[in-house]
Amino acid sequence: MNAPDRFELFLLQDGEKKITEKIFTGLSNTSDFILLKEDHTLGNLIAEHLKQAPHVLLAAYKIAHPNVPEVMIRVQTDGTITPRDALRQTCQTLVQMYFALGREFQKEFALRQFADQGDQGGAGNAGGQGGPY
Amino acid sequence: MLAEIPTMAIDLVQIEDNSTVLADEFIAHRLGMLPLNAEGVENLFYSRDCDCDEYCDRCSVILSLHAKCTGDENMHVSARDLVPSGERISQTLGNPIISDPDGLGPLILKLRPGQEIKLKCIAKKGIAKEHAKWAPSAAIGFEYDPHNKLHHLDLWYEQDAKKEWPPSEYADWEEPPQEGEPFDYDAVPNRFYFNVETAGALPPDAIITEGIKVLQIKLAQMVKDLSEGDGDGNGAYDGPRSPEFGGGGADGWGGGQDPGFTTPYGNGGNQSAWGGAGAGGGTTPYGTTPYGGAGGSSW
Ligand SMILES: [Zn+2]
Repeated sequence: MNAPDRFELFLLQDGEKKITEKIFTGLSNTSDFILLKEDHTLGNLIAEHLKQAPHVLLAAYKIAHPNVPEVMIRVQTDGTITPRDALRQTCQTLVQMYFALGREFQKEFALRQFADQGDQGGAGNAGGQGGPY
Repeated sequence: MLAEIPTMAIDLVQIEDNSTVLADEFIAHRLGMLPLNAEGVENLFYSRDCDCDEYCDRCSVILSLHAKCTGDENMHVSARDLVPSGERISQTLGNPIISDPDGLGPLILKLRPGQEIKLKCIAKKGIAKEHAKWAPSAAIGFEYDPHNKLHHLDLWYEQDAKKEWPPSEYADWEEPPQEGEPFDYDAVPNRFYFNVETAGALPPDAIITEGIKVLQIKLAQMVKDLSEGDGDGNGAYDGPRSPEFGGGGADGWGGGQDPGFTTPYGNGGNQSAWGGAGAGGGTTPYGTTPYGGAGGSSW
């Protein structure tokens, strides 16, 4: 049958590269990046953050067909840095931001749990009733 | 990102005996939906990355079920009756989640007097992009700007929008707009409210933390790819096409008018039509796949 393998949505096949850069000649300092096996999660996130990055003039993404797990991101810079560097820096910044977010979340959650336990005289936890947690 | 957090779910069912009113497939499907404990799932291999042929203790958890109705009344078989067996990585990983007051867990099927069910389930690690049964959460709520200060919403109303739209539960968390306050054109949403409801496999806070981790891994992998691949040849990219488009020509899509490309699905082989023919650069710090993979699986 012609049913696609279930993992084709998120696993790179043999010989596929995660990121391919293609220089876009219609604009100066512009490249298209093609991310294979990704979706709006990464496309939207990166494009939105690229727009806030320094030296970036244009950033946008598209998913040309909903059945095809490919993201295209177009980046134009002012020439101080290459689009590739802009994308790399944005990704690095995002990793650090998520690091901070994760740390803050765990800290706040622990505090909250502690406070809730105080309220209920040590019984139960912040999550809910009855469950295994 | 809550679609890509690895959890456990029953993926294979070997049925030895089934004299119930339900068909084998039907039962197998029900079993697949059961939430299983996913704490410590990072220590388990994906089956596709494992050395074994089909499944083994390093990439799966075995649960067996054997029940026969010997009494005069119908018997209920529930998740509690699944018995884990084999060498397990931890004593909790893969256990059915039981959170009801009676301690029975979800009902799988019912047996009439004399009926019997005997089967073996193989639970594997996976993500919800492959099948929704691996989703760690049943529902994620998301909201921002409860007072609609940014005017991102245009509220429908009959007489008075204020009366007809009850305030959100987060409305108390933010200052309501003042009467006659000028609209702030520069304002952007900067406060987001998430409501995470778990299916039981992971506690809600772990879902958030794991989601962050998955995103970080993705982004870190991108940084790595972007750093090492400097200056290598890029395959030509002609944009993705619908898998059905053109294709074999035998279907009703306009026949063989459109030669010159293969569809991503079918056509045998791994040759996908989408660019990226460039060789090399495939090894990642996480093994051959970006997920888990051989070697240390501690993210
Ligand atoms: Zn195995």
